[in-house]
Amino acid sequence: MVAPDPVAVLDELSNTVAGAYGAILASVDGFSIARSSSVVNQASHSAMLAAAVGLSHQLVAMGGGRELRQLVVEHDTGLLLIWPIGSQRVLAVLTAATVDQRHLREFVQGQAQWLSGDDS
Amino acid sequence: MSSQTFKILVTGPFAAGKTSMIQSVSQTQVVSTDVLTTGGESEVKSHTTVAMDFGTYALEGDDTRLLLFGTPGQARFRFMTNILKGDVDVVAFVIDGEATDTHAAAGVELRALLRELRVPAVIAVNRCSDETVANRLARSLGALDGEPAVPCQLIDPDSGREVVVEILLTLLSSMESTKAEVA
Repeated sequence: MVAPDPVAVLDELSNTVAGAYGAILASVDGFSIARSSSVVNQASHSAMLAAAVGLSHQLVAMGGGRELRQLVVEHDTGLLLIWPIGSQRVLAVLTAATVDQRHLREFVQGQAQWLSGDDS
Repeated sequence: MSSQTFKILVTGPFAAGKTSMIQSVSQTQVVSTDVLTTGGESEVKSHTTVAMDFGTYALEGDDTRLLLFGTPGQARFRFMTNILKGDVDVVAFVIDGEATDTHAAAGVELRALLRELRVPAVIAVNRCSDETVANRLARSLGALDGEPAVPCQLIDPDSGREVVVEILLTLLSSMESTKAEVA
């Protein structure tokens, strides 16, 4: 089976999950891999995502945990939800505050194998 | 110098030895944000810092404590340097003496940083064992005459501690200058 284009996956996510309006896939060391068509290309975004996830791994240890599962940035106009995807990638989704987070997580989990790049 | 905590910004180009320095001298467990490198950078080294390194160094028999904040080296992570550079007391600028292709950009970065922060700097010239070479490189980067250059091998804790000694001497000198200005 041919792996889908990550941009198509991110566009589908942004177009089908109510409240989600953009997504960025980055490498853990801060390079941009793909983004939905709705997101402006800015190199620093991927670097910031990598830095946030890198630091969050340490915060997980501070909290006594072992695995970072999700990072939530709640701001005045919505949410930025960030997940480690496999061991080498990071996915961030921009959403409205009202997004159905459970539905969004299910979508991401369903696509995680493709997005991780492990099969490419 | 007692009961004092100083913030040291450990910065410099990609793969210069910043993380190695903090890991070699820190007396507490280092907070590290190393991840596997990808693309062309993986040909230079296997891991890279994406947010910060953090370590500490305390003088024995004294309450003086250094907080070592290490930055990522790549330009795409410059926002982390901007976050970490607040209230810095000394800049420890690490440069790989053998990576000559990084020196020109490093000089631009060093000069801009020092012009903005107006704090003393110590230039740690990694993979270098010659004081004259280290000094010459530091001056070519734009370090001032009074700013020490330390030839070092930062995978060696003893060598890393020599950089820390220079940082402490620089702090002492800076404090004395400040006192003299006040008097």
